[in-house]
Amino acid sequence: MTNSTHTKLPMPSVDTEYRSGWSLFAESLRKFLELKLNKFSLGLTLFLILLAILAPWISPFPYDAVDPARGLSAPGWPHLMGTDQAGRDIFSRVLYGAQTSLSIGLVTVIFGLVTGVSLGAISGYVGGWVDEVIMRIVEIFMSVPGIVMALALVSILGPSVPSIILALSIRRITQFSRVARGSVLSVKSQDYVTACHALGMSNTRIVFAHVLPNCIGPIIVLASVLLGNVILTESTLSFLGMGIQEPTPSWGGMIAKGNEFLTFAPWISLFPGLFLFLTMIAFNLLGDGVRDHLDPRGGSVV
Amino acid sequence: MLTTVLLRRLIFSIPTLLGVATLAFMLGHMSPGDPAIAAMGLDLEGYSSVEPEELERVREELGLNKPILVQYVGWLTRALQGDFGTSYVSTIEVSELVFEALPTTMLLLVMTMSVSIVVGTSLGIVSAIFRGRTGDYIARMIAIIGVSTPTFWFALVLMLCFAVAIPIFPVNGSFDEFGWKAMALPTMAIALHPAALIARMMRSSMLEVLSQDMIRTATAKGLSRWRVYMVHGLRNAINPVITVIGFQFANLMGGAVAVEFIFSLPGLGSLLIEGIYEKDILVIQGAVLVIGVAFALSNLLVDLLYMIIDPRIRI
Repeated sequence: MTNSTHTKLPMPSVDTEYRSGWSLFAESLRKFLELKLNKFSLGLTLFLILLAILAPWISPFPYDAVDPARGLSAPGWPHLMGTDQAGRDIFSRVLYGAQTSLSIGLVTVIFGLVTGVSLGAISGYVGGWVDEVIMRIVEIFMSVPGIVMALALVSILGPSVPSIILALSIRRITQFSRVARGSVLSVKSQDYVTACHALGMSNTRIVFAHVLPNCIGPIIVLASVLLGNVILTESTLSFLGMGIQEPTPSWGGMIAKGNEFLTFAPWISLFPGLFLFLTMIAFNLLGDGVRDHLDPRGGSVV
Repeated sequence: MLTTVLLRRLIFSIPTLLGVATLAFMLGHMSPGDPAIAAMGLDLEGYSSVEPEELERVREELGLNKPILVQYVGWLTRALQGDFGTSYVSTIEVSELVFEALPTTMLLLVMTMSVSIVVGTSLGIVSAIFRGRTGDYIARMIAIIGVSTPTFWFALVLMLCFAVAIPIFPVNGSFDEFGWKAMALPTMAIALHPAALIARMMRSSMLEVLSQDMIRTATAKGLSRWRVYMVHGLRNAINPVITVIGFQFANLMGGAVAVEFIFSLPGLGSLLIEGIYEKDILVIQGAVLVIGVAFALSNLLVDLLYMIIDPRIRI
């Protein structure tokens, strides 16, 4: 390659080096983990996810095994975190509760992301009255606090898992669509998009192949920040009795149940609350880390 | 000048307010089954126990036999006049319930807002001034813990500590019964989250300002450190913080819903939750509408405050 006659145009070495998406991701991740705090938050997150996945194997009791003889027993052996009024093992229920919270959080954020980003992309890319209408509707939905909207919706649709996810998603859809719209607007006017038009590409292809991939940064940041947020709202819903229903364990529901026995059996609501708190710490720190890492003003990669 | 802007902003917020009203109206019509049954506070099982004539009367009264658009216009007209219908569960007018609940929630929100602004900005300023030192770490730790603590769980912990273990404050009860003591724990519980958010924003905004040349100039002029931080630093750093404070209303209201319920404070949040438990659609509609309108108005207020503090901003 290098010996021959075409030496007139030396290729710039940096730009032509082929980097697979994977190697870029690996490098980004390595830089991300240089910070101790990021190591901690990612570690804690992975640990909680692992607990949730492994719940069926590591929990010492089935989550719905009732044992009235051991009702309200204090933390000790064999019930590490004590039992509730029906004698169910709190530790096992906390582990299964992690499964409930994390899966609902993840599904909600993914659903919100796909719907919200589509709406925002249409709004920003098409512009005009379409933009006006979509953003007006988004603004209306943003005027009602998330938990109020979610409570009202679940109470009307009934507390099933799909309606909980729908109720939690609405607020996320508005948030994602706003951020996506903003990024699409700023990317839309870039030269390479004009070039795509000049090449005669279809709008769909331009949006999916060129505009959206360049908007991904802020969207990832928002997704990582919202995960904790959704889990918190879900547990608030469950706490108020409008979320996950018994006997399926959810941290919010367990805290509500423990509320009745707060004075003489505080462990019932203390431990699920502690895990909820740890989850929030993990996701908040992770969200912060991802934001600092991806924010262009921070001057790092992407 | 200010009045023109105020008028323009008011007019701009009309479509949003109308939208919120529409949303509240739609909530009542989304319920599966007969809205008349729902309005009577019955579920589908209760259907068979209702006399057909009674049902017909309720339908007539709610205007359910008219086209949906006519219903909507009628509902909106009445809502604009402050008439949200009569609760079928408690047979009290919904507007009366809402306006009875409003002062408690307003008081709670104002107290929470004040506490979180004072605590949040001070923490943030301390953090920025002592950047990288112990004070900064402690303040940042408090902030991250505050952001991560679930409000309703914190409320329970506070109740356990300061109402049960050390009975300084009442476990539950209204302002009328216990005065300020009834508001102390709920205020603390709700204020934690917004205070932490404000602290984080204040810290980063202050750090950005403190790195600017004018701060060096001010220090070089021989001004006291206090004056440099409070006058030159704070005044330039406060704007992004006000935006964050403005966005806290939804946050606060969300916190208030659970906390009012926990401490049995008779506010809008408790009203909403009771309405939900009783399936009292009209109460849910009324509460959602009032909360949405209050939110829109608070946004308006923030915009105006923004203009007064920073005259460069024109909306």
